[in-house]
Amino acid sequence: MAVVAQLVERWLVVPDVAGSSPVGRPINSTHPLPAADADLERDTEVAPDVPWVTIVWNDPVNLMSYVTYVFRTYFGFTRPEAERLMLQVHHDGRAVVATGPREEMERHTEAMHEYGLWATVAKASDA
Amino acid sequence: MKVSRAGDRIVLDFADGESGVLRSLIDQYLEVVGSDAGADPAHARLFPAAYRDDAPAAEEFLRYTRSGLVDRKAANAARVSLALDEETVRLTGADAEHWLPLLTDLRLVIADRLDIRADDDAVPDSPAGEVYSWLGHLQESLLVLLEEL
Repeated sequence: MAVVAQLVERWLVVPDVAGSSPVGRPINSTHPLPAADADLERDTEVAPDVPWVTIVWNDPVNLMSYVTYVFRTYFGFTRPEAERLMLQVHHDGRAVVATGPREEMERHTEAMHEYGLWATVAKASDA
Repeated sequence: MKVSRAGDRIVLDFADGESGVLRSLIDQYLEVVGSDAGADPAHARLFPAAYRDDAPAAEEFLRYTRSGLVDRKAANAARVSLALDEETVRLTGADAEHWLPLLTDLRLVIADRLDIRADDDAVPDSPAGEVYSWLGHLQESLLVLLEEL
C-alpha cells in the first residue's frame, strides 16, 4: 500500500473517455454477472400460496468468511448451517437460503443486496 | 496497516497514507452509487437483477428498492469515512459491522474495473489490484476480530 498511497488514481470512477481508465475499462461495455446453469423461467401468473425462494449466487469477490457472516447475522443460522450454505454457494454456484411468501423473499433479496451479495427471487418450483 | 484488538475495540493502525486512500475510494464510491441507474457498469453488481428471467419483475424490484439501497449504502459509506479522520481508528463491534458491507461494495466496483468475473480470474499485479487485495485483507481481519469481541 505504500506505493499505492502515493498515487492518486480514480480507480472507481468510470472515465469520460472510453479506454482511458488505468485498468483499460471501456465505458460502453456491459458485463452481466456470470451466467448460471439453472433455468429459472417462470410464469408471471401464479397462485398466491405458491412458495418462493431467495437464492444466493456465487461471485468471485465475496470472501467465504463474509458470506458465512452474513448468513449467520441476517438469517440467524447456526455457524454449521451458515457454513454449509456458504459452501453450497461456492461449490454449486448457488444456494436457496430462504423459502416463503414472495414479498418476504424480496425483502431478503434486498437485504442481501445491501450486504453486497448477489441474490435473486424465484418460484420454489423453479429453483 | 495493523489490525488488532484492545479490550472491546478493534484497532486499525493505518500505514502512511492508507486512510487517505480509503477515504478517496469512498468518495469515488459515493459517486458511483449516486449516479443514475445503469450509468455505471458496476451497478450490475451493486444492484443486481433480482429476477433472472423476468425483466419486468426485475425492473419493478429495482424501482421499489433502488433509492433506499442507494441511501443506505451512501449513509454507511459516509459513516465509515468520518471515522477515517484519525490514522488510528478504534471500532466497536457495531462500528466494524458497518465497515464490512462497504468493503465488499468497494471490492465489487474494483472487480468490475479489473474485469474479475469468475473465481479463477487473477487479481492483476497493479495498484488497483493491490488495493483490491488490501481491502479483502482488511475485511478478513475485521471478521476474525469480530469473533473475538
